[in-house]
Amino acid sequence: MAFTPPKETYIGRVHAVTIGVGDKTVTFGGENVLPFHTFEGIAPNRPVIAYEIQDIPPTDWPENVQKPYEGVSNDPVTWAKFCQDVLKVKAIALRLIGTHPDRENRSHEDAARTVRDVLSAIDIPLIILGSNHTEKDAPVLVAAAEAAKDRNCIIGKAQEANYKTIVAAAMANNHKLIAMSELDVNLSKQLNILITQMGFDRERLITDPMCSALGYGLEYTYSVMERIRLAALTQNDIAMQPPMLGDIGMYVWKVKETQASETDLPHWGPAEERGMAWEAVTAMVLLLAGAELLIMRHPKAVEVVEKVIEELI
Amino acid sequence: MLIIGEKLSIMAKRVREAMMNKDRGPIQDIATAQWKAGADMIDANIGPAEEGGESLMEWVVTTIQEVVPLPISLDTTNYRAIEAGLKVHNKEWGRPLINSTSNDPERFPILELAAKYNAQIIGLTVGKGGLPADAEERAAIAAEIMARAMEYGVPLEDLYLDPLVLQIATSQDHALKVIKAIRIFQELNDPPMKTVVGLSNVSNGCPKQLRPILNSHFLSLLMYEGLTAAIADPHEIAPTVKTINVILGKTLYAHSYLEM
Amino acid sequence: MALTGVEIFKLLPKTNCKKCGFPTCLAFAMKLAQRQASIDLCPDVSEDAKQKLGEASAPPVRPITFGAGDKAVKMGEETVLFRHDKRFVNPCAFALEIKDTLSEADISSRIEEVLNSEIERVGQRLRIDAVALINDSHDVGRFEAAAKIVAKKACDVPVIICAGNPGAAEAAVKLFVDKKPIIYGANSENAEAMANIAKTYKATLGVTASSAFGGSGGGLDELSTLTEKIKSLGIEDIVIDSGARKAKEIIEDNTLIRRAAIKKNFKPLGYPVITFAQRGDSLIEALIGAIGVAKYSSIIVLSNIEKWKNLALFTLRQNLYTDPQVPMQVEQKIYKIGEPMPDSPLLITTNFSLTYFIVSGEIENSKIPSYLAVMDCEGLSVLTAWAAGKFTAAKIAQFIKESGVENTIKHRELIIPGYVAILSGAIQDKLEGWKITVGPREANGIPAFLRSRAA
Repeated sequence: MAFTPPKETYIGRVHAVTIGVGDKTVTFGGENVLPFHTFEGIAPNRPVIAYEIQDIPPTDWPENVQKPYEGVSNDPVTWAKFCQDVLKVKAIALRLIGTHPDRENRSHEDAARTVRDVLSAIDIPLIILGSNHTEKDAPVLVAAAEAAKDRNCIIGKAQEANYKTIVAAAMANNHKLIAMSELDVNLSKQLNILITQMGFDRERLITDPMCSALGYGLEYTYSVMERIRLAALTQNDIAMQPPMLGDIGMYVWKVKETQASETDLPHWGPAEERGMAWEAVTAMVLLLAGAELLIMRHPKAVEVVEKVIEELI
Repeated sequence: MLIIGEKLSIMAKRVREAMMNKDRGPIQDIATAQWKAGADMIDANIGPAEEGGESLMEWVVTTIQEVVPLPISLDTTNYRAIEAGLKVHNKEWGRPLINSTSNDPERFPILELAAKYNAQIIGLTVGKGGLPADAEERAAIAAEIMARAMEYGVPLEDLYLDPLVLQIATSQDHALKVIKAIRIFQELNDPPMKTVVGLSNVSNGCPKQLRPILNSHFLSLLMYEGLTAAIADPHEIAPTVKTINVILGKTLYAHSYLEM
Repeated sequence: MALTGVEIFKLLPKTNCKKCGFPTCLAFAMKLAQRQASIDLCPDVSEDAKQKLGEASAPPVRPITFGAGDKAVKMGEETVLFRHDKRFVNPCAFALEIKDTLSEADISSRIEEVLNSEIERVGQRLRIDAVALINDSHDVGRFEAAAKIVAKKACDVPVIICAGNPGAAEAAVKLFVDKKPIIYGANSENAEAMANIAKTYKATLGVTASSAFGGSGGGLDELSTLTEKIKSLGIEDIVIDSGARKAKEIIEDNTLIRRAAIKKNFKPLGYPVITFAQRGDSLIEALIGAIGVAKYSSIIVLSNIEKWKNLALFTLRQNLYTDPQVPMQVEQKIYKIGEPMPDSPLLITTNFSLTYFIVSGEIENSKIPSYLAVMDCEGLSVLTAWAAGKFTAAKIAQFIKESGVENTIKHRELIIPGYVAILSGAIQDKLEGWKITVGPREANGIPAFLRSRAA
């Protein structure tokens, strides 16, 4: 029996989003097919992986992922320059975790200063993230957006509880914006609608359906991402067409599998490889589900994911 | 189509307080309002009622039937509370309905009560743990419940199959599966099996202004497939029921059909 | 086209004799429609009906049992492209390659690795399922010798005999009679000979278009022709390899194969897929393996099985093959969040895994070490479990008493979810000496709630 490849025609397309300025911009999204299905459509941009840094020393990160940044991570500026100049990364994600009331409760003025300092030291695109404290993120991200005015950054994350001020700040300062909801395809669509109803251009949005780590609810993120991407492509649902973010590092590097020592759990093998594999596999699987932008921590994990992306495009 | 009034539910604060304080006023007011709005039966949902379930159900049934000449749907997982309700139920107003048995072994014995007290019973097509994946799984569970009903001596005409309506906000794909299940359920026997849904669960968790819209349109599609009964708010669905009955040729049209 | 349950029912004797193990013919018919029962269970069905049913009930991806005994692996029977549409059915098998060019000691140590690969995760025992013995030497005697070691030391592990030479394949398969092995390596040149061997030794045949593979998509046409030819030679149990090795090709071919089988009911590709994921870099191999798990491979062959890699791949397989309709459950027990002391707070919730992840995450965020009592409610969330009579005062009281938590903590205070505030009095009555406190309704209120108590 002759075989006719059953190819699909998709009616929708994911928005392409460009961040950064000058000759160091990066673009992701833009495809009109499911992830890596270039046999039936086009995917003009490869996924982008941003390296995560933070405004305070990463003492809460497991040792195996602190190590690659030894000597530079005490200061966000040297850390960012190390990523740009030594690791040659394409983009950086600066998490203002020190602003969290339970951490150092740094002020929004402090946060703005950190953003300004980091931006003056690098010319690659920057993603600016709050501490995921919905009340505190509002003033922090407003100040950060102003400090980064016209550098075409991504500001995140706007959530149902705080999106209004953050959207306004991203709009006023010409940034892109991450809209995050908690593992619910319907709430994700709703938040994107509310944000665009404020006049925010939907082509400047990035959807974060909330990440989870391998072994800790990854299947929920996986299926929510698949459903969002199918809605965008097969139903031409304009509210679901922003590219998607997988904020991998912070979820992966807090689970037991990336921390426990081999002495305690000999049948799990060496902690270093295990941690890298945990981050890389989580990243790979979310790319397959539809993520176009990833935030990761371990350089070696990023390196292998980049190699496989090379094979996939 | 049979309307089973849903408003006497312990999930509602006013009802919960009335039940806890044995305050007859609110119970009778709500029951009367539903009767006037077109309910054919009143659902009395007392929750799992581990403590004092028997006296609570007895009290609720007699309190309602004192003022409303309708049969009661006894809605609880508590076997003894159901039995207590059946004992005091006034059959002059019709046969009571037990809400419900299912494919969970814990709920099998409830079928005994239907046989013993000549009551009708709802068979919820769920098993132990996990929700049915699609219409076909619901039908497979329905077939098992039917077989068990026959074993317990409950005639199939007294069994209402309930496909379990899920929330559109979280389980959108199940809306269509429930509609399909209503069609398949009827094919499982000749004469066709009776069917029932807990209608308003479809809009549970949705904004208030959307709920009547979702409920009514969902009901239209279910009625088109031949739904026998709905546990619903009679105020809310009366225009839909009347209109669909006109469209399906079940009532004769007149300009004032909605006022009838 | 598949028949509906009611259509199947019409073909059954309608005697309700119960010989099939189901209470009525109708219930049996419904199970047949779900492919959860076999028509062979009915002793009285007519041959004519049986044939009609057989044709109609053949699943789009042929079910195949690989291996025999306790370690046998079920493959095929998939019905969807996306797990949220229903579920992925039979978890893929991982196989370790063993080349016959290795020394006896190396072969033995690799077998040992497979035998010792079993770990437990969330109540399931997971392991490297199979061995892929490869005729890398192209020598029959050497292959047979290696097969003997495998047959001896791993007698109950399913084996894939990888050889393009029928002579080598036959020499090895003789050692696995009644073990339902896979002979991999049938191609357009050796199809008849390989089919004969598979038939004689009742093995599954692995068919490959790899020799002729020349660019994307090209392999599937040849593969379809091959499987049809092999089927016409009397072989029903087939696994297929399009020849895809690069990540991009694996996704493309596996997607087209699954789509053709499920959406077009294209029988020549309605078989489980075997994917060769071996790479020089073990981390990259883990990622290629992950692509196979997510994208429709039924067997994934690996070159090395380090413990860390196994843990990641087993976990991924477990995640993606979870039934999305059955709420994932966590084990019923008292969980420690942080390092709680005897006077730390005790909270209770249900064992729906998402509920558990969110509640435990919020307790973590509060930075107040606590005990979290997770009660088995069949994976329902708090309000649903309460309404279904699974999360009731009596059951909560019984669980707390039997959990032994009274020996761990000094105080006698239990914090219950705000949604079941109505239960507080009843629990207090049943748990003598306990104080029941109503916590927040939503988990995101937990940090503020716990901190205000600690203050």
